[in-house]
Amino acid sequence: MNRASSGQRRMVIITLAIAGVWAANALKLNPIDLVTNNTSIIYDFFSRALSPAMDYESDVPLGTKPLIVKTLSAAWQTILFAAAAMGISLIGGVLFGFLASSSLMIESARGTVKYITVTLYGLVRFLMALIRSIHELLWAVLFLVAFGISELSAVIALALPCTGILAKIFSELIDETSRSAAHAIRGGGGTPIQVYFFVLLPQTIPDLLAYSFYRFECLLRSSAVLGFFGYPTLGFYIAASFENLFYGEVWCYLYTLFLLVAIVDIWSNQIRAELKL
Amino acid sequence: MKDHLIQLYRARPKTNFVRLSLLVMALLISYTWIGGGFLSSNNSIIQRTENLERFVGELKPYELRGESFNIYSYLSWAKTMMAEKGWQAAETTLAISVAAIVLGGILGNLLAIPASRNFASNFNRDHLNLSALLLAGPARLLLIFLRTIPEYVWAFLLLSLIGPNAWPLVLALALHNAGIIGKLSAEVIENLPDQPQVSLHSTGASRLQIMLTAVLPAALARLLLFFFYRWETCVREATILGMLGIVSLGFWIQDARARNFYDEMIFFILLGALIVVIGDVISTLVRTHIRRIF
Amino acid sequence: MNAARGSLCLKNVTVAYQGIEALAEVSLTLKPGEAAALIGLSGSGKTTLLNTCNALIQPTNGAVSIDGKKFSEMSSQELRYARSRIGFIHQSLSLVPNLRVIQNVVSGRLGQRSFLGGARDLLFPSTNVVEKVYEVLDSVGIAEKIYERTDRLSGGQQQRVAIARALFQDPLILLADEPISSVDPVRAKATISLIREICKKKGLTLCVSLHNLDLAKTFFPRLIGLQDGRLIFDKATETVGANEINKLFNLPDGCIDFGPLTSKPSMLGKSLE
Repeated sequence: MNRASSGQRRMVIITLAIAGVWAANALKLNPIDLVTNNTSIIYDFFSRALSPAMDYESDVPLGTKPLIVKTLSAAWQTILFAAAAMGISLIGGVLFGFLASSSLMIESARGTVKYITVTLYGLVRFLMALIRSIHELLWAVLFLVAFGISELSAVIALALPCTGILAKIFSELIDETSRSAAHAIRGGGGTPIQVYFFVLLPQTIPDLLAYSFYRFECLLRSSAVLGFFGYPTLGFYIAASFENLFYGEVWCYLYTLFLLVAIVDIWSNQIRAELKL
Repeated sequence: MKDHLIQLYRARPKTNFVRLSLLVMALLISYTWIGGGFLSSNNSIIQRTENLERFVGELKPYELRGESFNIYSYLSWAKTMMAEKGWQAAETTLAISVAAIVLGGILGNLLAIPASRNFASNFNRDHLNLSALLLAGPARLLLIFLRTIPEYVWAFLLLSLIGPNAWPLVLALALHNAGIIGKLSAEVIENLPDQPQVSLHSTGASRLQIMLTAVLPAALARLLLFFFYRWETCVREATILGMLGIVSLGFWIQDARARNFYDEMIFFILLGALIVVIGDVISTLVRTHIRRIF
Repeated sequence: MNAARGSLCLKNVTVAYQGIEALAEVSLTLKPGEAAALIGLSGSGKTTLLNTCNALIQPTNGAVSIDGKKFSEMSSQELRYARSRIGFIHQSLSLVPNLRVIQNVVSGRLGQRSFLGGARDLLFPSTNVVEKVYEVLDSVGIAEKIYERTDRLSGGQQQRVAIARALFQDPLILLADEPISSVDPVRAKATISLIREICKKKGLTLCVSLHNLDLAKTFFPRLIGLQDGRLIFDKATETVGANEINKLFNLPDGCIDFGPLTSKPSMLGKSLE
């Protein structure tokens, strides 16, 4: 906390402020634009937050499922898409996580095998960086164009960036694990591969589990958004009801999404707490 | 000895909740793949391969079709693309992310003040009183709500409510991130050592004075680190929000798709990936710098 | 070679890191079943010396051999086998914190197992293995803890897990690097006594590095003094004189006046703790 560092801290804040002003200027953000539109719509929409619809806001054909049932089934679809993607991401993340881990691919390899593993390591790292820097919705659009609408390609679109992120986090977790136990087992005659899988890997499992659950939460949100592209998740119904100005129904779906994500959040927090004991 | 072992085995400490959670998750995932119908499909494989072939064929830039591969012609094509729309799209995307994170950071920290229980109970940890419940409870609920609604949904709703300008996209990112930053910020404030606050409180300082003089400086480093980490995800999200119809990267992707210009579409998607990677690199550098100076 | 199982021989061993010698021309031999304490200030090369004994560190010069066979001349298979018969108790314990005690103990034997065999031992150990782990844990007095998570044990108990892991290797030689640095003085004595007892019973060759001179003198018939990577003395405990000790710890001559063997707990031992 000396003077130089306090000056540098001020620099960070000032730079941020300048960046903010630049951005506002580039986007021509003007506070007046926030209210020039019909403010009564804004009021209508947000006032329904306190009274979300429990039933349809218009006449529906006889025999239509009640709103609650429709909401729950949309929520279930949202879960299904997320869970299916989670399955792919976990398998892919663990597999590519190994291949992107320097302690396995670089430190553990010897001789000619090392040329192969180092190449593979670089390749996998590049691939993972690529698939995680393309947004899942862009993947969805790409697949939509390439394969036509199909639920499988939606799932894969969700899974790809998630795989990239899991592989990255996973390899980092293993590579940053304390090496003291590994050193000991190595000295007792353990092979590098044994040490990697039986000493380094087990130490990362609690963190990996906790992070995977957090990723599932993110997948749920993305899965809901996929609805805007025609898949039967919550986003689809949010868009439809909103465009018909059924704001109460919109809030019903929003609160459902809120509950869904909040439950997974509480769930993963609980897991984290139990594993830390 | 054997009996004793069996006894010990039965009495071994178990993480039942974690096991159960894993089981539930495993069952859910298996169910989606076995019974969820993701593997069945309505259009045939032949139709799909045709579709794919057409798509791959059209990935080659239109102007260059029929020519043999030449890296310079590709580069000059990319240069024209950048000059026409690319630079402007990249700038807008970056500006959206920056404006959103600054706004979201301010908003999140403002909300974190009432959401932190030690502030709400007037830095008196011994009785978490009614004002803590009335203030911190709703503030936390709001933060969670902001966080659980995805950016894209916020943007979609706000676009109709506010009108077609950059505000909805910026606000959407800002609201979602305010929820996340606010939660973390509240935790940071709650976990700070008590001593300075309590001693200031006994001198009669007001809550806001305590906040500004004792709490914020101590928490700043962690908050800034987190702020830049969130900025990375903002950049990533900003690449797509334009798809809703505001001119930026996502808009051009959607536009190219609607006009079946797949060469342009893939160009902008890859440009988006590049922007995300650059954002990651900048953020990593800045965070290293922050760790050093704080 | 059966006659000489568990002998350890260092010949002119020099270890240099970037030109700085951590060990210089050290030669010593431990006969099967012999017990020796390695004493010296921290930084005197004790850890380096022990680490050359299971080939975790290769000497820059000189050779280390087990039962007459040099490490440098072993194939990787032979080296793995040799290492698997050398138990090593590390200063930092080096256990996997979130595994159960049984899994940590079993991992000591990875050097004698194939990849899948190791996986089986860790995940679904056979009754045989479990009983053997129980026995080993019983011998260090924590059999009850066999299924506990390792990081929930106290420091002293974790210490015993580390010892049990080394014993589970079924070693011929046991090396220990400051095994008592993380436990309180009462436990320290019990731990050293325990290690010594077990080695006597099983006839293991033992070499322990110690800060605590008193314990070294009480429990070990042979003392090896190291200073700045050099061997200062290597002889039977009763023949080590006070001036040699003083020299080893850089104390002026006659600083502490005690007889060579019959000293009561001395100030020296405590001040070095």
